[in-house]
Amino acid sequence: MASIRDLRTRIKSIGNIRQITRAMEMVATTKLRRFQEKAVASRPYSREITGLVTRMAAVMGEETRARPLFNPGRGERIAVFVVSSDRGLCGAYNSNLGRLLETWIKENAEREVDFFVVGRKGYQYLVRRGRNVVTYFADPPLEKVDYRAAARAARALADAFLSGQYERVVCFYTAFESVVKYVPTRMDFLPIESVPAVDEGPTASGDLILEPDAASIFDALVPRYLETRIYNALLESLTSEYASRRVSMKNATDAAKNMGNALRKLYNRKRQENITKELLDIVGGAEAVR
Amino acid sequence: MPTLTLRVITPDRIVLDEIVESVRLDGLDGSLGVLPRHAPMIAALDVGLVRYSGAQGARTLFCAGGFAEVHGDTLRVVTQASERPEDIDEARARDAEQRARERLRTGVEPSGEPLDVPRARAALKRALFRLQAKGYPAGA
Repeated sequence: MASIRDLRTRIKSIGNIRQITRAMEMVATTKLRRFQEKAVASRPYSREITGLVTRMAAVMGEETRARPLFNPGRGERIAVFVVSSDRGLCGAYNSNLGRLLETWIKENAEREVDFFVVGRKGYQYLVRRGRNVVTYFADPPLEKVDYRAAARAARALADAFLSGQYERVVCFYTAFESVVKYVPTRMDFLPIESVPAVDEGPTASGDLILEPDAASIFDALVPRYLETRIYNALLESLTSEYASRRVSMKNATDAAKNMGNALRKLYNRKRQENITKELLDIVGGAEAVR
Repeated sequence: MPTLTLRVITPDRIVLDEIVESVRLDGLDGSLGVLPRHAPMIAALDVGLVRYSGAQGARTLFCAGGFAEVHGDTLRVVTQASERPEDIDEARARDAEQRARERLRTGVEPSGEPLDVPRARAALKRALFRLQAKGYPAGA
């Protein structure tokens, strides 16, 4: 049975935990907002690039098929790009993605897979399981991720694909649906199977001036398109990570609060009991003396 | 009177959304001029400047390549990076220029690997155009 003094120290330490998780919850809330803003700010750009790709693909027609990025690679292996988090304490964020990844690995058990990883947690996880990690994008830290970092990763993946070692490149990240819903997602990255059909902006017509020419524009456009897809995947994952961290820190804070209350009740009862006991002793002693 | 809206879009923000009278862009194959009522166009851009004149007179933006699209009365410039002269960090651009020149001179990357020449050239070009957008003479 816990002594009254043990109870007091426990109540105190739980109070400390609660303060810490509350602080972490607030930090996560701020960062969540920052990444949400970043995601919103990036939307016009990716919409324009996607729109341009769609329109130019229409202009190019079957010519897109002649491009290596649009055809399965010559290699046997599969390259997998994984977006995880640098730090833990974010609920099931990493393990949910890990589960999706493991299922996929099982389905492709006969294939050799190389990993390209963002996030320290994912890197450690894969290394621990003896997977072949080719590239770990450690710089910049995830928190400071920007378009340039995404562009670097996209180029590394495209270069790997074009090197002829791989048949395709698959991307695992966490899609952000709302502050309470984040979905581990698999995205086929390369080859580009089809470009999205967006019905806005001008369509290809004879009147459209292309400067300098369709092929040059298209070939300059495709890398940008790949970059925006990686950038989106990174931003959505980061938003999901902080949303998940905020929720799990909130739960921890609430749990600490409940536990503190329960312990305090117990403590008060014990204290009361002791006082009663002492009173009885005193009263009993006084009776005996009389 | 016909108007032209110039919108400059980067992954981080919309740098400019303004009604202008004329725009000059650096296309892959040379300078492109856009006036109101321009025919629909999609163009690939080189690293360079976006020069436009509007209500506040002639202005310049730095533009790190990308694409331009004319549709209706709107010209959209979609680029990885674009800055107004007042937002350009001169010291950083000068640093970048020095670094790029150094790499091109020695022929090695700071990491010791053989130089990625197109990349170093592009970095130099960006630094020089940033300085030019800031008002320094071309190639200075």
